[in-house]
Amino acid sequence: MKKTDFFNALKDILEVDVDMTDGTNLRQIPEYDSMAVLSMIAFFDEKFQKKIEAEEFAKVTTISDLIGLIGADRFE
Amino acid sequence: MGAKILQIEYHLPERLVTNKDLEAEFEGWNAEKIEKKTGIRERRVVREDETALDMALTVSSRVLAGFDKDKIDYLILNTQSPEYIMPSSSCLLHNRLGLRTDVGAIDVNLGCSGFVYGLSLSKGLIAAGIAKNVLLVTSETYSKHIHPKDKGNRTIFGDGAAAAIIQQSDQEGILAFSLGTQGNEKDIIVPWGATKHRYDPGAEEIADPSGSIRTANNFYMNGPDVFNFTIQAIPPVYHDILEKNALTVADVDYVIFHQANEYMIEYLRKKLQIPEEKFYKNMLLTGNTVASTIPIALKDSLDRGLIKKGNKVLILGFGVGYSWGGTVLNI
Repeated sequence: MKKTDFFNALKDILEVDVDMTDGTNLRQIPEYDSMAVLSMIAFFDEKFQKKIEAEEFAKVTTISDLIGLIGADRFE
Repeated sequence: MGAKILQIEYHLPERLVTNKDLEAEFEGWNAEKIEKKTGIRERRVVREDETALDMALTVSSRVLAGFDKDKIDYLILNTQSPEYIMPSSSCLLHNRLGLRTDVGAIDVNLGCSGFVYGLSLSKGLIAAGIAKNVLLVTSETYSKHIHPKDKGNRTIFGDGAAAAIIQQSDQEGILAFSLGTQGNEKDIIVPWGATKHRYDPGAEEIADPSGSIRTANNFYMNGPDVFNFTIQAIPPVYHDILEKNALTVADVDYVIFHQANEYMIEYLRKKLQIPEEKFYKNMLLTGNTVASTIPIALKDSLDRGLIKKGNKVLILGFGVGYSWGGTVLNI
């Protein structure tokens, strides 16, 4: 998946219009709540067939942490 | 000897908790946002002095209207909120209903899979000639387990009860089942209050990242891990139900999943490619009533003409345990 498409998907999931980069701190976005985590789980299942546990999500701060969970090799 | 569901009724307690009520109570909670994300606008909860057994009595009386209660020869009550640790609440319900003495009564302690399991037991009892008319009741008061300051779970769950009469029948009304279990004491649990660890009135309050508060005496649910589990475990079960009954989704007229939350079941619907018009989705005025969501959905679907006699309806319940089960009903 192209990183720009990933960033746009995250913007949709969080329903925000914030510019996203690798370094964006998700914890500072109020919309990154429990429902957003569910939406992310759904997104990762659908697009990457990847299962991410709640424990792993708890360690995520930035978007690049998310990319790390999925696997950097899955992105262009 | 086959079995069929003769009739279904449901009951919701009187006390109403709307999203607006929750918004007023919890800072940062927005009524419209809750409805949009969860599909829930309001839910009912019992009063302090009202129990699952009380609701079971109300709904049982309702389903027995116009039916000779002396014909009931087995009673199954599914609840995780018993009146007492013992005696079984089903025995007490039996007594309150004034059923014949020579009938069996048992409690089943399951959550969202409870109605389907109850149907599987009813079918078995009837097929074995042990019973001819089973009264199957689901009744739940998660509100009594959820901490008052647990905004997340107070939003999702509602109290409620349902009852069905399952009767022997020449035509098979309840087809083949797919059941499953994967024991888990991490993701959905009320840790204290039973035999592992006593209820402790001094238990300390624990806050989760979203600000919801609970103690170890209270209901706990790890939403993301439950979601993960569901989206992995449930699709194969759906396919197994169809396969065991030699059906495809085209042969099935309607699909009713346990109404856990709108987001999760909509994701399952898309993943399983179930057409929208065949898929029940409604928890707007009830929230998640645990084992009662499926019978409530069946009754609601019948009342609204979404399903009718002759239809094949696939039902699938899943949740705490983890426990899951499903079958196809010939309405």
